[in-house]
Amino acid sequence: MTSGSVDLLVVDDGEGFRGYDCRDVVRVEEVEGEPGGYLVRLGRLGSPREVACREILGSVTLSAREIRPVPDVLRERIAGEKPWAVGITGREMYLLY
Amino acid sequence: MVSTSGVSPLNDARKELLREVSIEAEVSGREKALEETGPARSLLVFYLGAEGFAVDLAHVRKVLRPSRIARVSGAAPEVLGLMNCHGEVLCVLDLRRILSHGVKTAPSAATEEKFVVVIRHAGREAGFLVDSVRDVAELPASSVSPVLDSIDPSRARLFEGTVACCGQFLGLLSPPAVLNP
Repeated sequence: MTSGSVDLLVVDDGEGFRGYDCRDVVRVEEVEGEPGGYLVRLGRLGSPREVACREILGSVTLSAREIRPVPDVLRERIAGEKPWAVGITGREMYLLY
Repeated sequence: MVSTSGVSPLNDARKELLREVSIEAEVSGREKALEETGPARSLLVFYLGAEGFAVDLAHVRKVLRPSRIARVSGAAPEVLGLMNCHGEVLCVLDLRRILSHGVKTAPSAATEEKFVVVIRHAGREAGFLVDSVRDVAELPASSVSPVLDSIDPSRARLFEGTVACCGQFLGLLSPPAVLNP
C-alpha cells in the first residue's frame, strides 16, 4: 500500500466481488475436490479468519478517489462481516473487507 | 345629530365596520378552505405490475434507468446490489420484495425498461426498482386517506396512506419506512 491507495486481492464469492487488503492475506489455498473453490486465509493485520470463494480474480490498486463509504441503507442490510468501503472503478465495484 | 350631506358619521363607521367584517370573513373562508383541502402535494406515480403506488416528490431525488448492478454477498434478500450512479454508490432495493414482506418472491430483474426511483429521507438514500413510472400528480393533502385496516400491519407500516388518483387507489409510500430495514 502506498500513500492514498490500497492494493486489493479481488475474489468472487459466488454472489459478488470482494476486495481484501493484500497486506492482510496470509495464504490462498485451493480446496481439494471442489474445482474453482479457494480458501483465503487472512489475519496479518488483524484477527485470523478464512473466506471461501469461487474464484480468485487477481489484484487491483485503488486510489483514494476510487473508494467510497458504504451506504447506510446497505450496511444495515448485511449480515455478518460488514464491508468498510466500496471500491468503484470505471468497470467494477468491489466491497472492501 | 344628522349630517347635512345625508351620510352620517355613524353610517361611515358602520360601513367601515362591515368592510372589516367582510375582509375577515374572506380571510377566514380562505383559511377554512385551506384547512379543508390542505396544501397541494406533488406525488410521483409508479407501478409494480398492475399495482400503482405513489411517493411524495419532495423525497424523490432522481429517476434513472437501471445500469449494471453489482451484487452484494451476505445482503438481505431485498438488496439487488450497488449501482454506479455517476461516481456515486447507490444501493438498489427491490421494492416488490419489500412490499411482499415475509412472502418469498423471486428477485426482480433490473431490465432496461424498468426504472430506479431514488428516494432520500433524513440523509438516507436508496434506489427502488419499479416497473414503470407514470406521472406526477398534484393532489390536495386532504386527499390522502388512512391505510385500510384490512391490510397486514407489517405492510401497512410501509405506507403513509392511500390516494385516489389516475382512476385507482394508490398506496402512498412512507419514505422513512421503506428506507429502514
